[in-house]
Amino acid sequence: MKHSAAAAKTSGRLRRIRKAGLDKAPYGAQHRTSGTRLRFGSADVLTGVAGIAVSFLVLCALIPGWIAPYSPTEMNTAAILQAPSVLHLLGTDYFGRDVFSLIVYGTRDSLLIGICSVLVGVLIGGTLGSLAGYVGGKLDTVLMRLMDVLLTVPGILLALTIAAALGPGLRNIVLAIAISSVPGYARVMRGQIMAIRRRGYIFASRAIGARPSSILIRHVLPNSAAPLLVMATLGLGSSILAGAGLSFLGLGVLKEIPDWGALLSQGRGYLTVAWWICTFPGLAITLFVLSVNLIGDRWRDAVDPKRKGKV
Amino acid sequence: MTNGITHKLAADRIYPKRRFKLGCVLGALALALTTALTGCGPASGGSTAKAASGTAGSAASTPVQGGELTYALATSPDTLDPRRSGLAVSVRVFGALYDTLLIRNADGSLGPSLATEWKASEDGLSYTLKLREDVKFQDGTPFNAEAVKYNFDSIIDPETKAANALALLRPYKSSEVIDEHTIKLNLETPSQAFLGNLSQGMLSLVSPTAAQKDGENYGKNPVGTGPFKFVSWSENAEIKLAKNPDYAWGSAESSNTGAAYLDALTFKIVPEEATRIGGVQSGQVLAAETVPPQNVVALQNDPNAQLLQTNTIGFPYTLFFNLEHEPWNELKARQAVQYAVDLDSIVKTLYLGTYERAWSSVTPGILGYDESLEGQIKPDTAKANALLDELGWVKGADGIRVKDGKKLTLHYVDGSPNREKRNDIAAMIREQLKAIGIETEVEITQDIATVVYQNWDYDLYGNSQVNSDPHGLTSFYRSTEDEGRRTLSGLSDPQVDKWLDQGAIEPDEAKRAELYKKVQQYISDQALILPVYVFPYTVAAGRSVQGLTFDPFGYPIFNDVYLQK
Repeated sequence: MKHSAAAAKTSGRLRRIRKAGLDKAPYGAQHRTSGTRLRFGSADVLTGVAGIAVSFLVLCALIPGWIAPYSPTEMNTAAILQAPSVLHLLGTDYFGRDVFSLIVYGTRDSLLIGICSVLVGVLIGGTLGSLAGYVGGKLDTVLMRLMDVLLTVPGILLALTIAAALGPGLRNIVLAIAISSVPGYARVMRGQIMAIRRRGYIFASRAIGARPSSILIRHVLPNSAAPLLVMATLGLGSSILAGAGLSFLGLGVLKEIPDWGALLSQGRGYLTVAWWICTFPGLAITLFVLSVNLIGDRWRDAVDPKRKGKV
Repeated sequence: MTNGITHKLAADRIYPKRRFKLGCVLGALALALTTALTGCGPASGGSTAKAASGTAGSAASTPVQGGELTYALATSPDTLDPRRSGLAVSVRVFGALYDTLLIRNADGSLGPSLATEWKASEDGLSYTLKLREDVKFQDGTPFNAEAVKYNFDSIIDPETKAANALALLRPYKSSEVIDEHTIKLNLETPSQAFLGNLSQGMLSLVSPTAAQKDGENYGKNPVGTGPFKFVSWSENAEIKLAKNPDYAWGSAESSNTGAAYLDALTFKIVPEEATRIGGVQSGQVLAAETVPPQNVVALQNDPNAQLLQTNTIGFPYTLFFNLEHEPWNELKARQAVQYAVDLDSIVKTLYLGTYERAWSSVTPGILGYDESLEGQIKPDTAKANALLDELGWVKGADGIRVKDGKKLTLHYVDGSPNREKRNDIAAMIREQLKAIGIETEVEITQDIATVVYQNWDYDLYGNSQVNSDPHGLTSFYRSTEDEGRRTLSGLSDPQVDKWLDQGAIEPDEAKRAELYKKVQQYISDQALILPVYVFPYTVAAGRSVQGLTFDPFGYPIFNDVYLQK
């Protein structure tokens, strides 16, 4: 069995999740508490690589100054549209800026859009879903029909409309993407809650006189959270992609340091003469989205009770 | 697209079917962002070189009859009614559909078109024009003095809601039909720009019959006297025109004064520049306008395409200081920016040598253009810093200057989409101003009408205009009268007003030129603007396209065009 750093990290996170929620469940509410042992295979090598890639990009977002060789705003007009070379690893753009440095510095905004919009989306979607699932009745019907209405509008279209209405800006992009992802989270959360609230241990705690709010917070929510967290991880990829898409379409702001989507957009007119300007930001998006999804997939498999015992 | 994936997730929950499919789909989408949204064309690199200019093909070969020219436009015309249009792109279509009373020659003089002779009255308050007698509109309506009267009267009629045409026609008051083919145009006040404006496409003549019949909808069913007649218009896709076989009154603008060689002329609307230029290289369209500088270089090395280029005249792309905002109402602050911004380097970097740098408030080719301004202001960071020091702006810890607890900021507004790389100019200026301690906030908005022309919420905003006469300076620099809209600069100087008002009526051309030179000197000395570039109108065309030329305004002339087999 090979233990790669990332896999260890993943399993560590798993353990934390289990500690946070699953282990607390009384009366063997969980099938998975008895220590799922991760199997390692080619998928784990891939997950490891993905982990390294994500770690690197997170580092880029945190300490870009230590990684980028140039300032992202430095316009060296004597060296415009230069192909990748030793001096400029990924070439220069039409202002004479170093493309590698731009991508490194652009990571922060790209990740920020992705993470913030997922957080906001999960928070709103999770709350609505829990309410609908736990309270049930009319509230459930109203909320979920509302979600159905939102679901009928394609996500990117919804995000576009919201972003256009709110005007450009980092916060508005985050909001737009978050809102468009709310129905998905709400539905998953509701489903989970509805399944768990009919479990024996819930009836039991009700029987011993626990208040509904404490049942929700102490028993229902912790046991329903795992799938939502997995979904959020997977959602991170699509959120970053959506953010890049909105930036690409010019709904972002003209910032000193463009994010990946804006970089793509700036470089697209030069594809025939300087392919490196938009190819590398595109690859950065691909790398990050792919990595996050690989990790999310692996995590999903690990926490899925149906997969227990299967290879 | 993202939510499609979210839906899928929501639908089959988190069961691990097709493990890596999701990742792959997302990855593929990311890649698609990089490639699918951009056009494709043969890759070719190369050094920057001066673009070839002039006309397509040689005059030696004999024109071929027939065929259809497809011409890709970057934006869609707003209307095909010249009276109501406000966009230069519409005028490119007007040239094919309509004729004007006069034409403007390359040397700036006026030539006959639908009017054969013209004479000003002694007091300059009226013009008598003799009209061609053999002209018919495409719907059979005869072209005569009544038709001209109808056109001009309807432009000044508020009901028509005329746009640019109204500004060009002013100070027109009324028309008198002297006989079938003679008309006298009366003005409110003398105007030296009036006659020249009659050569502008926005004052093309529409068929009174059709205009009366269709009213507001006339712009969708235009009828003119031009070499091509209207067939159909599908919104944001294409405008189809067909040859007008009766055409026999071409002006000296084209060497072919009879019917066009082409059977059909189709304008396609292709906003995405890479797609538009790629269309020419792959043969989907025969010609495409507004070639991005980076493609100019590539096109010059392309054996299947040719590049045509002409400079436009009027007012160059100019950044106007808002003189009503502090601290930009102070000369020294503006001068500091003037010295800090290296426009030469900006224009060279962004346009790769294909655009010419502008030096004055008007372009070369306009009466009174002041050549002495060329090369006068050189970037000088030390001077710029000194000027700001004098004003008491002191550099803070972050390198941005502060005075009385306020940061020195410049609110730079520009429009979206990024036309002619204007947003990139903003990005470069921001960098250059940072060096002298000015923080530039760049606002890119789709709603210029509100931000700029309603709230006047900018310190620096850029604009350009195609025009034939320096009188147009009035709309940028003359102080505003009571109800009138304020100008972009917000300048209010009685001396400038006097020069501009004199320029409007001064009959002696040399004296007029002097007046406008004074205005230009003043604008430059006062650092009211940063003149950036003179817009060259560029067209990429297939090798088969011959005889495409441009008028002095930079608008294409289609009557000489033929397709070499």
